[in-house]
Amino acid sequence: MASSTTVSPVESEQRIPNALSIVPGVLLLAGIGYAAKTLERTINTYAKVHQWTFPNIEYVLWAILIGLVISNTLTIPKVFESGIATYEFWLKLGIVLLGARFVLADVLKLGGISLALVVVEITLSLILMTALGKLFKLKPKLTSLLAVGSSICGVSAIIAAKGAIDADDEDSSFAIAAILALGALSLFTFPAIAHSLHMNDVSYGLWAGLGVDNTAEATAAGALYSDAAGKVAVLAKTARNAMIGFVVLGYAIYWAGQGQAKTVTNKAVFLWNKFPKFILGFLAMSLLVGFHTFDKGQVASLGNLSKWAFLLTFAGVGLRTNFREMSKQGLRPFVVGALGEILIACLTLGLVVGANRIWGL
Amino acid sequence: MATDKSSNAAKGLSLSLDTWAVIVALLLALAVKFSILKSVPW
Repeated sequence: MASSTTVSPVESEQRIPNALSIVPGVLLLAGIGYAAKTLERTINTYAKVHQWTFPNIEYVLWAILIGLVISNTLTIPKVFESGIATYEFWLKLGIVLLGARFVLADVLKLGGISLALVVVEITLSLILMTALGKLFKLKPKLTSLLAVGSSICGVSAIIAAKGAIDADDEDSSFAIAAILALGALSLFTFPAIAHSLHMNDVSYGLWAGLGVDNTAEATAAGALYSDAAGKVAVLAKTARNAMIGFVVLGYAIYWAGQGQAKTVTNKAVFLWNKFPKFILGFLAMSLLVGFHTFDKGQVASLGNLSKWAFLLTFAGVGLRTNFREMSKQGLRPFVVGALGEILIACLTLGLVVGANRIWGL
Repeated sequence: MATDKSSNAAKGLSLSLDTWAVIVALLLALAVKFSILKSVPW
């Protein structure tokens, strides 16, 4: 993961780097995003003029594909690295701004359903991944990291858990590589399966939010289906992210009990430190719109700003996915992750179908 | 000593990515509200 061609998500999770150093990478993200939008428009117009039957490939997929081609065929110079790593910032900015497109009642209804499903999903995923880790004789802390990563929110959760349970750098690199590789695969498999099942936007959005691990990939997988599905996927994923502190705290207490991690002295401070603060921004934005702070045109502008921020995120998702680097991390964690992800995807699909029957999504 | 203090102050002021995202989003919302950003196209 430390190669010049792979942007370390560890770095991107921490702090914003110095302003000048990010300019080349951000320009690259923006360039890819703009190219993706242009490709979508040009191909659609060309197909219409020549009366071709051509599938509508959205800018989301183009942005990811262009990024993937660049990162897997070229060596990205170091000067672009810190700018590319800002994709996490654009993702969170996009999510906060997306709050403007949610009526508070929708947040409460869908967020409530999501939270209920998230609790079931997390419990079953943790049990499943722990059992698979034992079956494949993975190191116990690597199993913990994979379980946290696949049950809650991918890379962020692994990084949060790594510090809390004193895991090795090597273990966290394994877990991150497995989660990222599987996230990349889910971008193509989730929409294809949903189309074959004729899922509606809300059901699919919930499934993508519950089943895809990393927030950026969950957002992209949702947006690849439809704009409405993308919104729901972000909401469901945000509900899942909100649980990060509780699960990491549970693991920290367990490993401290085994004498292999520091004891957690103040649990409330621990929970607050691990809580993803952008969720509060998302809720605040939704509240502001609920109190009619903005008129209709302004809400549309905020929604469009959110889309621009996501466009840069999608370019970053492609750019930081380097299959060659990931393959160096070994097969066993990947196999455990893949098996777990397939089972979790089936499980979350079942949960969403059940919720659809109960609440009529 | 003075360097230590200033670096501590800088560390104290450094904000997490999440917090920056919320601040920038709120600044953008203010810019939209007060028509500094009039209409953002897509």
